[in-house]
This record gives sequence, C-alpha cells and structure tokens, in this order.
Amino acid sequence: MSYIESLARELGRAGIGASRRGRILAEIQDHLSCDPNAELGDPAALARQFADELGTVRARRAGIAAFAALAVAGVLFAVAYLLGARGFPHRHADSAALGSLGAALAVIGAQVAFAAGTTALLRAFRRRGAVVLARAEAVILARRAGVGVAAGLIAMAGLALLAIEYHRGLSSSRTTLSVIALAFGAAALIAAAPAIISATRLYPRAGGDAGDLFEDLGPLVPSWLRGRPWRFALVLAAAIAVAITLAGIVQQDGYDGALRGIADALACLAGFAVLGGYLGLRSAGPA
Amino acid sequence: MRPEALKGHLDSLILAVLEAEQLHGYAIIEQLKQRSGGALSLPEGTVYPALHRLEAAGLLASSWSGAGRKRRVYRLTRAGRRALVARRGEWKAFTSAIEAVLA
Repeated sequence: MSYIESLARELGRAGIGASRRGRILAEIQDHLSCDPNAELGDPAALARQFADELGTVRARRAGIAAFAALAVAGVLFAVAYLLGARGFPHRHADSAALGSLGAALAVIGAQVAFAAGTTALLRAFRRRGAVVLARAEAVILARRAGVGVAAGLIAMAGLALLAIEYHRGLSSSRTTLSVIALAFGAAALIAAAPAIISATRLYPRAGGDAGDLFEDLGPLVPSWLRGRPWRFALVLAAAIAVAITLAGIVQQDGYDGALRGIADALACLAGFAVLGGYLGLRSAGPA
Repeated sequence: MRPEALKGHLDSLILAVLEAEQLHGYAIIEQLKQRSGGALSLPEGTVYPALHRLEAAGLLASSWSGAGRKRRVYRLTRAGRRALVARRGEWKAFTSAIEAVLA
C-alpha cells in the first residue's frame, strides 16, 4: 500500500471528511512529487495530528459562534419582550395553557441559553492559545455551544408564543414587530449552527480531562466554593432569587417578585441537575 | 535543532515565511530550512496540519494554483499579519529577558 493510500485510510479513520481528505492528499501528493524521499511521518500519526488540530479550532469556533449568535439574539429577545410581551401577566391570554407554556419556555430557555453560551465562551477564551484540546474538552465545548443555541431557539419560540397569546390590549403592529424581532434572533442563532455541526463532526483524538466550571471561572469563584459544584449552584440560585425579589420590590410588587425569584432559583437548580454533568459544569465530563 | 525545541514556535515561523510571498507547502518547508541555514529541520508532515489549522483560525488563506500540477498555495490574511507582528514583539521581549539573565 502506498503512503498516500495509507494516509487516505487513516484520515478517514480519524474522522476527516471527504472534501478535506481530498485536499490533504493532493497536498501530500504534491509534496512527494517535489521530494519522493520526503519523510512525512507515520500516516496514522499524521492523520491524528490533522484531527487534533482541526478539531480544536472547530470546537473553539463553535463556542465563539454560539456566544456571538446568542448575544445578538439576546438583544432582539429584549426588544421583542418590550414590544410585545411586557406586562403580560396583567393581560389575558387567548389560551391560558399556551400562554403559560410560552412563559415557561421563554424563561427557562433564556436561562439555559445564557448559562451554556457563557460557559462555552469562557472555555473557548480560556483555551484560546491551545494547539490541541483533549477530546473530552472539545466535546464539552461543542455541547455547550449546541445546547446554548438550541435553548436560545426555544426561548425565542416561547416569547413568540407569549406575544401572540397576550396580544390583546396591544396594537397589532407591536405584536408583529415583536415576532419579526424574534424571527431575526432565531435566524442569528441558526447562522451559528454550521460552526457547531462542523465541530461535532471532527473531534480531536487527544486524551485528557474535560475540566469543569471552576477552571473556566478561575479566580472569579471564591475558594470556599471551589470544587463544590452543588454549593456553588445553591449560592447562584439564592443570588438569582434575591435579585429578582429586589427587582419586584422596586416595581412595587414584592410578593410577585419573590414568587418569580423562587421559581427562577428552582429552575436554575433544576437546570444544573439536568444539564450540569452533560455540559461539564459539575464534573470532569465524558472521556 | 531538535523538533521538540520548535514546538510553540512553528506558527510564528510559518507566518514569517509567508510574510513576503505566497507559497505552497513544500516551498514553505524549504524556506524554513534555507532561512535557518538548515538548523530548522522539522518533521515535514507536521507543517501541513499546522497550515490547515492556521487557515481554519483565519490567519492564512489558501487557493489552488493556476495551471499544471494541483497545488495549494498559502498566503497571510490581515489577521495573520497582525498575529505575526504580535508574535515578533513577544519573541523580542522573551529573548531580551533570557539574554539579560544569561549574559
């Protein structure tokens, strides 16, 4: 078997796609034409190096693309909220069930999107200089990016449902503009999908730990919370509850604020319980 | 020079070699050898993954060359030029500090 044939087989085994594989083989073929005695190294090792280096760049890019898309979507989400859904609890929905569903999706989706997107960016930024990431780390990065974008889309759909269900009392143009803003937000999120899909198609092969949230947050986490993920989640949930309660008090509705604060805190804990392991927030994650 | 000694510097070397002109993979490796007087003789295969990675990171751009043999030619992007300037600065600061200690 020739060197090129061996390399083609090993590149396929390493997960390099057909298009990239063809290009690499053409370049190596050209190199061997220039110097038939060139020492290009073991085909398996070379293929693995391609997978490691390209997989690392793709994972990092997925994290950055997801956060950028979520930032744009977040602004449009706020605009849509102000236009079409603000004050919705004090109006009547066409369907109470759909209205409640929309509210739940918008609140939970936004929280998950924020947490996943922010931690994806943190990891991508912290590891910006790494030539090769561990496979487990790249998997975590891609998961955070994917979950962040998916949750962002859910939040957009939830708010759209909310705006439509609670349209009474608002001009139709406000509802329409709200839905249009959400559609643009969703489009921004969908634009990040190719980078995320590309990352999931080629992971590095290098071994190593996935790391956890405390490594991502670095000195931002006080020492008494380090290595104690559940204590960290409880403190974060309590902070969320207090902040929302205070916001309610400022808006002259402390009781409602407290209820919403407790609901958000419980949602935060539930999210941590359900997605914390998958997103590498509370453990070393998958190997 | 041992290949391990080049780890961490390969990206800067590739960017520097491509600063003046666009080159294909084999020519980049030859330039590295020539400009270092043969001291920088790294495993040739390692350069190609680095070229693909630098391109994916937006520091290089590439295209197939015109007629004749199918050949991928690399050139610096604007971001690549900025990265090269930054790396040169870091390298000068690093070597100055080391020289000050060793002298």
